[in-house]
Amino acid sequence: MHLRGFHSILSVLILSLLGSTGNHSFAAAIFDRDVAPLLIRHCLECHNGFDLKGKLDLSQRDAALKGGKHGAVFVAGKPSESLLWEKVAEDDMPPDKPLGQAEKTLLRDWIAAGAKWGANDDLDPFQYTTAKRGGYDWWSLQPIGQPEPPEVSQTGWGANPIDAFILARLDAAKLKPSAPADARVLIRRLYFDLTGLPPTAEQVAAFVANPTDAAYRKVVDDLLSSPHYGERWGRHWLDLARFGESDGFERNNVRNNLWPYRDWVIRALNDDMPYDEFVRMQVAGDVLKPGNPAGQKAVGFLVAGLHNTVVGGSEFMKKTARQDEIEEIIGTVGQTFVGLTVNCARCHNHKFDPIQQKEYYQMTSAIAGVFHGERSVADPELARQREVLRKQIASLSEELARIENRARETALAKRKHRDPEEKPEPPTPFARWEFDTGLEDSLGTLHGTAKGDARLEGGALVVDGSDAWVETAPLNSPLRAKTLEAWVALGSLNQKGGGVIGVQSNDGQFFDSVVFAERESRRWMPGSNGLVRTKSFGVPEENEAHQQAVHIAIVYQEDGTITGYRNGAPYGKPYKTGFQEFAAGSSQVIFGMRHRGGGNNFLNGKIHRAQLYNRALGPDEIAASAGVESTFVGEAELAAALAQAKLARRKALKDQLTGLSAREQELGSGSSMKVYTVAARGNPGMVRLLKRGNAMDEGEVVRPGAVAALRMLSSDFGISPDASDNERRKQLAHWLTDTNNPLFTRVIVNRVWHYHFGTGIVETPNDFGFNGGRPSHPELLDWLASEFAANGQQLKALHRLIVTSNTYRQASAPRADGMAVDAENRLLWRKSPVRLDAESLRDAVLVVSGKLNPKMGGPGFRDVSITPNNGTTYYEPIYPEGDEYNRRTVYRFSPRGGRSAILDTFDCPDPSTTAPRRAVTTTPLQALALLNNHFILNKAGAMADRVASHAKGNLDEQVKQIFLDAFQRQPAAEELRLAKRLAGEYGLVTLCRSLFNSNEFVILN
Amino acid sequence: MNDLGTLNRRNFFNWGIRGIGATAFASLLARDTTAQVSSLGQTAFPNFAPRAKRAIHISLVGGMSHIDSYDHKPGLDKAHGKPLGSNEKPDIFFGKVGLLRKSDFQFKPRGQSGLWLSDMFPNIAEMADQMTVIRSMTTDSANHTPALFFANSGFEFNGFPSVGSWVSYGLGCETESLPAFVVLSDGRGGPNGGASNWTSGFLPSQHQGVELRSGKTPVRDLFPAIEQPKGSDAAARDFLQKLNARHADRSGADAMLSARMRSYELAARMQLSVPEVSDINGEPEYIRNMYGLGEGRTEDAGRRCLLARRLLERGVRFVQIYSGGPIGGSPRASWDAHENVQDNHSTEAGRIDKPIAGLLRDLKQRGMLDDTLVLFTTEFGRTPFAQSNADQVGPGRDHNKYGFSCWLAGGGVKAGFSYGKTDEIGWKTVKNPVHWHDFHATVLHLMGVDHKNLTFYHNGIERRLTNVHGHVAKGMFA
Repeated sequence: MHLRGFHSILSVLILSLLGSTGNHSFAAAIFDRDVAPLLIRHCLECHNGFDLKGKLDLSQRDAALKGGKHGAVFVAGKPSESLLWEKVAEDDMPPDKPLGQAEKTLLRDWIAAGAKWGANDDLDPFQYTTAKRGGYDWWSLQPIGQPEPPEVSQTGWGANPIDAFILARLDAAKLKPSAPADARVLIRRLYFDLTGLPPTAEQVAAFVANPTDAAYRKVVDDLLSSPHYGERWGRHWLDLARFGESDGFERNNVRNNLWPYRDWVIRALNDDMPYDEFVRMQVAGDVLKPGNPAGQKAVGFLVAGLHNTVVGGSEFMKKTARQDEIEEIIGTVGQTFVGLTVNCARCHNHKFDPIQQKEYYQMTSAIAGVFHGERSVADPELARQREVLRKQIASLSEELARIENRARETALAKRKHRDPEEKPEPPTPFARWEFDTGLEDSLGTLHGTAKGDARLEGGALVVDGSDAWVETAPLNSPLRAKTLEAWVALGSLNQKGGGVIGVQSNDGQFFDSVVFAERESRRWMPGSNGLVRTKSFGVPEENEAHQQAVHIAIVYQEDGTITGYRNGAPYGKPYKTGFQEFAAGSSQVIFGMRHRGGGNNFLNGKIHRAQLYNRALGPDEIAASAGVESTFVGEAELAAALAQAKLARRKALKDQLTGLSAREQELGSGSSMKVYTVAARGNPGMVRLLKRGNAMDEGEVVRPGAVAALRMLSSDFGISPDASDNERRKQLAHWLTDTNNPLFTRVIVNRVWHYHFGTGIVETPNDFGFNGGRPSHPELLDWLASEFAANGQQLKALHRLIVTSNTYRQASAPRADGMAVDAENRLLWRKSPVRLDAESLRDAVLVVSGKLNPKMGGPGFRDVSITPNNGTTYYEPIYPEGDEYNRRTVYRFSPRGGRSAILDTFDCPDPSTTAPRRAVTTTPLQALALLNNHFILNKAGAMADRVASHAKGNLDEQVKQIFLDAFQRQPAAEELRLAKRLAGEYGLVTLCRSLFNSNEFVILN
Repeated sequence: MNDLGTLNRRNFFNWGIRGIGATAFASLLARDTTAQVSSLGQTAFPNFAPRAKRAIHISLVGGMSHIDSYDHKPGLDKAHGKPLGSNEKPDIFFGKVGLLRKSDFQFKPRGQSGLWLSDMFPNIAEMADQMTVIRSMTTDSANHTPALFFANSGFEFNGFPSVGSWVSYGLGCETESLPAFVVLSDGRGGPNGGASNWTSGFLPSQHQGVELRSGKTPVRDLFPAIEQPKGSDAAARDFLQKLNARHADRSGADAMLSARMRSYELAARMQLSVPEVSDINGEPEYIRNMYGLGEGRTEDAGRRCLLARRLLERGVRFVQIYSGGPIGGSPRASWDAHENVQDNHSTEAGRIDKPIAGLLRDLKQRGMLDDTLVLFTTEFGRTPFAQSNADQVGPGRDHNKYGFSCWLAGGGVKAGFSYGKTDEIGWKTVKNPVHWHDFHATVLHLMGVDHKNLTFYHNGIERRLTNVHGHVAKGMFA
């Protein structure tokens, strides 16, 4: 853009020397240098091979000479007879912004000189940046310069070259930098910034006592080597990776095994893996390091986003869903690694950046083998983790058993003294079928009708395994929670899939039935439509029921819990799944058949008696109904036999065991673990351009490749269109991380800057194109990028450089002179204050309340309830207690659409798209969450309890301790007085709650 | 330094990334939010005189059959039992194209306008002279969740701001004590996609729909989740105020500090205003009856419709009411009538007919209907052919994205008017098609906003509710 004026003036000079007689070959040379850029900048936006406004294409020699719908637009040597000149001269064209005088003269003279085209037949419309779009000359696409730090006014101010670049612009704006921040402010800023956690009062005191540059640098080094560094900066990276632990879309199913990716990120950052390696691993780790579990975990990046699992029936819907999935991945890869919104070129050439639609499909080809999926990944770590887990579980279980056995003995002993009349009565069913003399319901109206060969014999319903069953009248009230119960003998143990008693919608489409051996041979199980509520109870084979009748009961609770019983005793492990309600009028009970319309449907056996309850029975009720003299001691009885302290201990043990068992189950038994990752298709086949992005409208075959606008790299990967997925992704990884790729390093140094200062040098970290921001300090950006490359792309060195600058160490107080000139602080005349992000806020509350569980890694803690409901999954915040839930927020299970109140109101993005910068809002809902949310009040209580037990009775000391913990400083005299009054009247908990809400706690200077 | 404590509004709102942090404070709260949007380099809103100042959006989950409700098709009656007569493989859901089936409901002309409506909604039909029925809606997806996302946000995917969020972002709220955008879910559960349907997406979080539930804490965390010492709330607030004031003196009065202090004042107001607006017991008997309160099947929708009116009266900008809970399961809890349209739609309509008619009447008698827009939408329609084997006329219908009906009432739309047309059998739109983008552009226009001006930069694109599409259907304006 900046050359335009110069060229035009020059060409005017030259052309005027030529005079009106003209010199044709010279005119052609002028065309290449001056006229072509003019046409590209001002005309080709509308008159190109794709667009053809007025049927005129000026991007190509023959087409241009042929003209548009009004015929030729040039008459060589005769501007006054040329339509193009006429339009330009009258300012009709270009429509928005007429050409300047010099440009007009240039055009006229060129036509006058013969209107000769130049050396190339085709003009590239992306050659130059125009008023509406970026070209190959766009700033961010140029090689990285090697700028020298500029000369500045206050030579003494700079701690490193960053400061010189900043000061130079401040000088130009006649602003001075702010004074250094005071020691306490600075050290708190640094801790939160590098680790996302507050320092302790002692750490602050130590630095305040000796706030030297050397001491500061020592703290920087300590924090960068702290494992909390990876957790903090890993969280930033997860925003970009749109890391979400559910599929999104309609089903939004849980993703149990994406967390290994999160752990890989944290570890890679803590290890200071060079950034190019970090990126190569995430794009192609599985193919670059086959056999290394890290590679398979790292490429979780590609598939951490949304996944549509209900793509619809038609071919169009299926293909479109796949193209949507690819766009999602290309968008994230392009924006995250090179700051280009390549995804905008899916249906047409990019409207703002020099990216052709074809290049989008080249990238499609590069990732065509990438699919969402789970893989087993061999991991030697597993055996060790399992061993640790097994020991923990064994020791906790032993303790739990000791407590419970003793309680059971006590309870049973109590029973002996009990009045025999207190013996539990069998519960009353909703319906009962005796099958003695008929099929009627002896309690209600659900009378049965025999179908096929079903018959009564010897006080039992006999069914022979083929087309014999009984069905009842429709339910007269809706059935929610229920218990199905029957006394049944089998004709054979080798039969499969028959139902004993079940409830079904009349058409058989929905059902819950007591089924024998459908999925696992020789076992009882809860059968259900499409097996959607069927899981294994994990029991041994049945080996009696062919010789004698057994009592089988299955209990369905409304929360989806299903429990089995055999002969009055629990049958394996209960589990939780979805829940099915059965409507009155259109549902019925069935015997001898799993459900209407199924295959392998019928039971071979005798049903002696059956009962239905419209509620979920408890274990002792089942035992009573089964007529078993039960030694089962129910929950209430057990609890009554335990002292308060033991009861609490038992609850804690059970909670811990639940968590550990879940973890054990996830680890599995083999030497491999399940990882949600790229399930690559080795030979994805050829990719074709899709016209207007329509999945059904295929165009030419394209080769794997990337964006041509980076002229220093080849956009064609040089491999065939049907190359293997390995080859394609390797090439993509190399293209992205190529040392000559200027965007790769510019984008990451800007990101790091963005997270340190709140705004990047380019304020749109994912978009370095025409629509993005312009760099506030372009030379600094290039200097940082070249330093970064020279230092082996090590992020920790970059952090060190930034946080040891004086720019970073400035005070944050607003100044009138600065506000007047640069209220947004783009020039960095101060350090902008920072509102803690959602995760840091929650983590800080955990730290100061003394509750933080520093455990790293593994599956996330789940502070949401997960309710699968008819094809959709709902996530609702819950507030479980226990250490597991006091881990850092980065370890929170993070489903889409399932943020807790604190995360939600404090601007933690829902992981539906890559989130390069978070909004910072202040709302009343945020205030309400921080004042009233369960988590906050619970931790305020914990903090109050802890302090109360430390300095018993001494309110003065207690209040001081709370200030020290929360703010890492002593209260001023007036603060102490006010705080004591508050705590004296309403307790320490009110003080703690207030401090969590204070500006000093939530906003960092 | 102290004189900065009263940073003027202009500076205040300049804080942050492209004004995001700034609008931050504005939003929910400030009456003059609209002016602030201009800090993003946009035209301030409204762009022109609004015909409607506020809106209620009734969103039907599952897909309402237009040919049985708002789109009278005598041609379909004639063709009953005949095949569709086309070799196309339509993009429906189950893909079973049965024989054509006439409407299961009776149509007749209503009101002075003579608008043909069926007896599926007998009460709403009495209000025919208040509404414009659009009989030419089309959408991109015949799949529930994407289709509902599309109707709400103009995109089929999670993560895009919904209409209410855009309206909140553009126009703000007329009260400081309530959110600009409130959502009232069906008592049987949230729609597919849950809160993603009223997300603010990439817009600042204060534009998110706030779900108002029944019970003691209608808004999440409105009151302490764990009981606190009596009187401690006020004392804590007072202490906080003093502590924050001292902090500001020490660290310099940054705008963010005063914004937070103010947010606590507004939170306190919400604690008063939310229970007040939620408490409908004070409404007179005849009003309660009008909405069908006290009648079993209309209780849930009646309460929510009445709540909606109360919210709008107090300055809330946009209220969304869902009819239908989760998709799937048996019995159905939504409009997804694959099995039997007559049964399902009679039940679902019975739940909302009286409440919505009551809402329209109540708005009218209060003079609010003139500048309140009522939107009644469905994610898609249903097929004129049965969902059954090719030689049968089953009782259910599949999804139809090619043509369906929605209606608007009040706020500057024609009264007793129909817009657009489907073909003879109600299968596809043939005249004046209204895609969701057009619908959204039209709604924004009625509210005084040019949809092309309401933009927000996100990852390379100045995003709009209408993507790069949208034509205002001025033909339906009064």
